[in-house]
Amino acid sequence: MTLPDSAQFPDTVVLARDLSQRVPTAGGMLDILSEVGLAVKAGETLAITGASGSGKSTLLGLLAGLDHPSAGEITLLGQRLDALDEDARARLRAGRIGFVFQSFQLLPALTALENVLLPLELAGRPDARERAAHWLDRVGLATRATHTPRQLSGGEQQRIAIARAFATDPEIVFADEPTGNLDADTGARIIELLFELNASAHTTLILVTHDDALAARCQRRLHLVAGRAREEAVA
Amino acid sequence: MSFARLGLWLLRRERASGEWRVLLLALIIGVGSVSTTGFLGDRLKRAMSEQGASFLGADLLVTSPRPIEDWPVLAVTKSARTASPLARSQALEFPSMLAKGDAFQLATLRAVDASYPLRGSVRIADRPFAAGTARPAQPPPGMIYVAPDLLPLLSAKVGDRVQIGEARFTIAGIVAEEPGQLGGVFGLAPRVFMRADEVAKTRVLQPGSRVTYLYQFAGDPAQLAAFGAALKPRLDSTQRLIGSREGIETLRGAFANADRYIQLTALISLLLSVAAIAIAAHRHALRHYDQAALLRCFGATTAQLRTLYAVQLLTLGLLGSLIGVAIGALMQQALTLLVLPDAVTRLPSLGLAPVGAAVFSGLLALAGASLPALMRLIRVPPLRVLRRDLPPLPVAAWLSAAISGSALLLLIAWYAGNARLIGVFVGALAGLIAVLALLARLALVAGRGVQKMSHGPVRFGLAQLLRHRFDSTLQLGAFTLALFLVALLALVRSDLIAGWRQQLPPDAPNYFLINIAPAQQQSVAAFLSQHHLKASALYPMVRGRLTTRNGAPIASTLPPDARDANSLRRELNLTWTATLPANNAVLAGHWHGDRRVGEISVESGMAERLHLALGDQLGFQVGDQTLAARITSIRSVKWDSMQPNFFVIFAPGQLDALPASSIASLYVPPDAAGVLPGFIKTFPGITVLALDRLIANLEAVFDQIIGAIQLLLGFLLAAGMAVVIATLLASLDARQQEAVLLRTLGAQRAYLAKSLWSEFLALGLLAGLLASACAEIAMALIAQRLFELPLRLHPWLWLALPVTGALLVGMSGWLTTRHITRVPPMQSIRALG
Repeated sequence: MTLPDSAQFPDTVVLARDLSQRVPTAGGMLDILSEVGLAVKAGETLAITGASGSGKSTLLGLLAGLDHPSAGEITLLGQRLDALDEDARARLRAGRIGFVFQSFQLLPALTALENVLLPLELAGRPDARERAAHWLDRVGLATRATHTPRQLSGGEQQRIAIARAFATDPEIVFADEPTGNLDADTGARIIELLFELNASAHTTLILVTHDDALAARCQRRLHLVAGRAREEAVA
Repeated sequence: MSFARLGLWLLRRERASGEWRVLLLALIIGVGSVSTTGFLGDRLKRAMSEQGASFLGADLLVTSPRPIEDWPVLAVTKSARTASPLARSQALEFPSMLAKGDAFQLATLRAVDASYPLRGSVRIADRPFAAGTARPAQPPPGMIYVAPDLLPLLSAKVGDRVQIGEARFTIAGIVAEEPGQLGGVFGLAPRVFMRADEVAKTRVLQPGSRVTYLYQFAGDPAQLAAFGAALKPRLDSTQRLIGSREGIETLRGAFANADRYIQLTALISLLLSVAAIAIAAHRHALRHYDQAALLRCFGATTAQLRTLYAVQLLTLGLLGSLIGVAIGALMQQALTLLVLPDAVTRLPSLGLAPVGAAVFSGLLALAGASLPALMRLIRVPPLRVLRRDLPPLPVAAWLSAAISGSALLLLIAWYAGNARLIGVFVGALAGLIAVLALLARLALVAGRGVQKMSHGPVRFGLAQLLRHRFDSTLQLGAFTLALFLVALLALVRSDLIAGWRQQLPPDAPNYFLINIAPAQQQSVAAFLSQHHLKASALYPMVRGRLTTRNGAPIASTLPPDARDANSLRRELNLTWTATLPANNAVLAGHWHGDRRVGEISVESGMAERLHLALGDQLGFQVGDQTLAARITSIRSVKWDSMQPNFFVIFAPGQLDALPASSIASLYVPPDAAGVLPGFIKTFPGITVLALDRLIANLEAVFDQIIGAIQLLLGFLLAAGMAVVIATLLASLDARQQEAVLLRTLGAQRAYLAKSLWSEFLALGLLAGLLASACAEIAMALIAQRLFELPLRLHPWLWLALPVTGALLVGMSGWLTTRHITRVPPMQSIRALG
């Protein structure tokens, strides 16, 4: 799958061309992704789906600039990632990209409020503390501000992670199996919250999931089969 | 927020974490250890420097065993015309008995003139350990000033009258401070100041008496230099000229050597702490890979992460070092009180230099121990947020080794000072580590047998010990080292003196009679036989210095490392006799017997040290004469026989004409001790040296030194515990997983607790047993090789060390791991993610 130049997609925030990822294994080189192409416009929601081992998380990592592809190009927020080194990619992410992870990834020593505060402080926001409190309130956990992750349930922890992802007003939020560690009810509430916040913040949301209900909420769906992408219409 | 501030913020949030605490604790222990000795050494060194010329009491000092009448007259130079003439002072120093009622004590008398001291000051107080006022050292007529430690020995107080020789004096004050004195503790014969013009009336000094004439000069440096240059060629080898700088340098040199060894002892604790720090830092890094990856995900660059972790490390380093320094400051005060109780107030206050040195050591140790782990931490790929099994990029092994190795080597080099000592220290350390590691491994192999025989929680606990083999070896090695050194010192303290005392026959001489004038010999013998006291033979004694061997200066015939021998630096006691003394045996050559020829017999140890052989012609300076004699026999001497023993014995004839006093040893049974005051009154010029008191004094000094070193070894034990805690913390996650599994399978809390206790008790017991074995072997070597004492085993050691080890390791282990038995399995599973 190939895509035209980014110039033809003026409001594109993520553009990938011919992405391939090969890794060495004991049995020789393994193709995790092959020639994947993708363009995501600002404000779009995209679900990356596929079976376990189909390369979903690898693609997410590449699009977010957390790893380099073996071949192909990625343009993130107007910048060609292959022209940037690790540190330059980190600077590009700072404050402009949010993340939600399957395992929440909250820092255990920090309170709920401080976990939300962390990316705001890193981005040097002057009103960091107020914003963090505001976002904690938005996810309904204002009363748990001083609790540490250990004192919170999985659903609560993921809500804090969502608040943390949106707190910096990012242009894109990447979410990796955001409901993967949660039961169905809690997962449904998390999905609700994620989309509600995304809609109100006009953020681009790219999420990896094998949950059809979650994928169905997205405007677009990219299905991966053995590392090859097929864009599917959303029902 | 800057990353530096973020680092501090995160550090504050994580301050309760086990790794940070262990790291901080280990650092405090290590820095506490080196700063204790650092502070003490610095105070003593500064005391020496600050005293400068006042240390000698003069700018120039000449010592001589006989009076010097003929002084060089300086040519009248330009500078001499303008400068005032050199100030002079003259003093005599000699040992003598002081008696009050039935009490008597040997003292060192310094008889001074009105101008003593020319530099510095003497402070006289009216009660012991008071600061006193600066006064001339010369007391008013009929009075003396005494060192504070003399009073209890004589049961005397200021104002009492005491007997010296045939004269009586009133104690007019206490010497609170005098030039050249840092503390009176090591003086075996306390100091007394008297008037030079009152020496004659005591009649203590006889021909052949031991006496040193002290001539002091002060004044214009150019004049002093010219005077010294003119004087030097006139002095013989028994006389010495000491400039104030030279006097200080000699002392400082000797002190610097001792200081270096003590500092290196302290360094062992810091190095053991480094092991604990390295383990804690490694675990900290492991537990923070996710955090680092997350921060990278949020946009932190490598440089920002480096700042963040460097600030955390530096903060901990400074905090730990400063607390360590504070503890060091307290401990050095305790140490000073222990070693120099009466000098505490006279030493300069704490200096800042050791603070810098200790903080630098702490930071260097911390850097060496933790940089490799932190370097991996900042190399965590951000993708780890999605793939948690992704390890950080490896840091080349050579780079880690180079960083740690060079930091540690720099630290050792800094404390050791010279290449040879660095080599010896590193070599000894490497050897010790290898031996301990091997022993620990062997002990663990033996432990396997015990484990097979045990069952239930004990078997599980022992299995843990054997499974974490590297950890167990490290813990065992560290703790064995600490227990071993502590035990060895205790043995040295108790064994050497006790063993030596036990070896003495019950009627071994317990007194020495010194300074017996030739005319007194008959009456002394009569007095003793009248009181049924048994004395050894009387040996005449003259003092002389060994100067040449076969016509060449003795030093030039020796390899450089043998030139420093004690027997070359001081005057020897020379005697002559036709009869081979008891406790002596001829090893080579023939005993000269009563041949009146220029022949001598030399003690075998001295012959070995000075490379002397049968047939060598030795030259001696005795008074203003030079003598030469040929070695015709080499003797072994039983030094601990409590008899008068001599390095060099002349054949009769050569020394007879010289002024000599005699020496004898004497056994006084306890019930006859009342005879001695009578003896001293009858023979006031004879010095009576009580060996019991001398040994007690030596024991006290020995105890002080060993007590001081044991205080330092307290740091070593603490560092050993820090290693145990750090290694346990590092295995805590794995242990918790096992505990969860066991509890899920139905194990009760008591089972887990028992298995933990059996593991730690076994570890402590093993460390105690290994340390006992090491201490017994080391002690046997020391006793036999160095002191020729019979082999002794110490059954109590084999009980005390394992129990101590089990208690200390058991407690630190249980405190570190106990919560894994308390946390419900579900919570553990959640905490482990």
